[in-house]
Amino acid sequence: MSDSIAPVDVPWSEDRLPRNVHIGPNSIISGQHAFKRFFCQKGKGLTLGDHCTMDAVQFAIGESGQVRIGNYCYFSNVVLLCELELRIGNYVIIGWNTTITDADFHPIQPAQRIVDAIACSPTGKGQVRPILKQEPVVIEDDVWIGPSVTILKGITIGAGAFIEPGSVVTGDIPSQSRVIGNPARIVGKEN
Amino acid sequence: MTESARTLPGDWYPGTIPPNALLDETAYIETTFSFSRCHSQAPRAFTMGYGASAYLGTMFDIGRIGRLHVGKYALLHGAWITCDTEVTIGDYTLCSWNVVIMDTYRAQSSLAKHRAMLERTSQHTPRRLDSDNPGHPVHISDNVWLGFDVCILPGVQIGEGAIVGARSVVQENVAPYTVVAGNPARFIKHLDPTDSVLQTPSNRS
Repeated sequence: MSDSIAPVDVPWSEDRLPRNVHIGPNSIISGQHAFKRFFCQKGKGLTLGDHCTMDAVQFAIGESGQVRIGNYCYFSNVVLLCELELRIGNYVIIGWNTTITDADFHPIQPAQRIVDAIACSPTGKGQVRPILKQEPVVIEDDVWIGPSVTILKGITIGAGAFIEPGSVVTGDIPSQSRVIGNPARIVGKEN
Repeated sequence: MTESARTLPGDWYPGTIPPNALLDETAYIETTFSFSRCHSQAPRAFTMGYGASAYLGTMFDIGRIGRLHVGKYALLHGAWITCDTEVTIGDYTLCSWNVVIMDTYRAQSSLAKHRAMLERTSQHTPRRLDSDNPGHPVHISDNVWLGFDVCILPGVQIGEGAIVGARSVVQENVAPYTVVAGNPARFIKHLDPTDSVLQTPSNRS
């Protein structure tokens, strides 16, 4: 069956990749929106290991963001929002429509939010935005993350953890634990 | 029922409806992209009943022996259905956007198997996770309403006439004619299965 289906997404070829994206052998990035919101200016903005599959992943990386992904990872339709640092280990699976972010993106305080709204508007060119809270996200080896999961800033997900579909992860997850819910709670252990 | 691979008129995706997908001639599928992850070799891998419809964003992610049935008048408005064994969606069932229905996690039972699966995946064209972990069939009965962003986990059965509130994650069976909501989902209230009075603009008081 599969040979009758032509892939519509042209994998990002070397010459079209942003210069600060480094991809290991046998890794694939597909999808037309992969780098649509890639504004990273760092020397190593995105480092992707070997044998990875990044199917329709959005690398929305800000100017000083840095994303590192290990080997043998499989992500499908994941949104990675990174302003600071996102570190993902080896053999990690992440499902459809999952969002991972290392920042708040807008200030919490109402007065600062007005300043930010103006700076972000079409008239706000060059205006300095208020300082936003950013904390690195770390996802260790062999983690399984289901579809429709949300992972917020500053979180470490320990090796071998299992994040059930739809979970909203608001705190660190110990290694080998199974979590579900909003907010995500530990419901069991993995082997 | 149509039995050969065919294209859809005006489709933006250069794919086909696979020959083992049996659609009633009144059924509507917006794009063959919905079949871009259908790898099933089962004889009747996909069946879709009278007046059923699947709009943009719907994905029939069907594994090698998976079978998916969509009942008559069922409306799929952008659901991602992962099916390695069997998923059935009943008649008149409404499925909102970003709904996830899965009969398998495509996860493995041990670390060694998990890594081996990902190593195999990197050799496949197109790439796909081929878990050998058996799935657990999901059955969604007739006249069910799934709100947006709902996740239905492997092995779950949803009873006739039930409603699952938006953003709920369902890991346990849902009784007929009940409303559940939450993440994880819990019982909210009963619905009246005998309430058959049709409210129309002319008889509404």
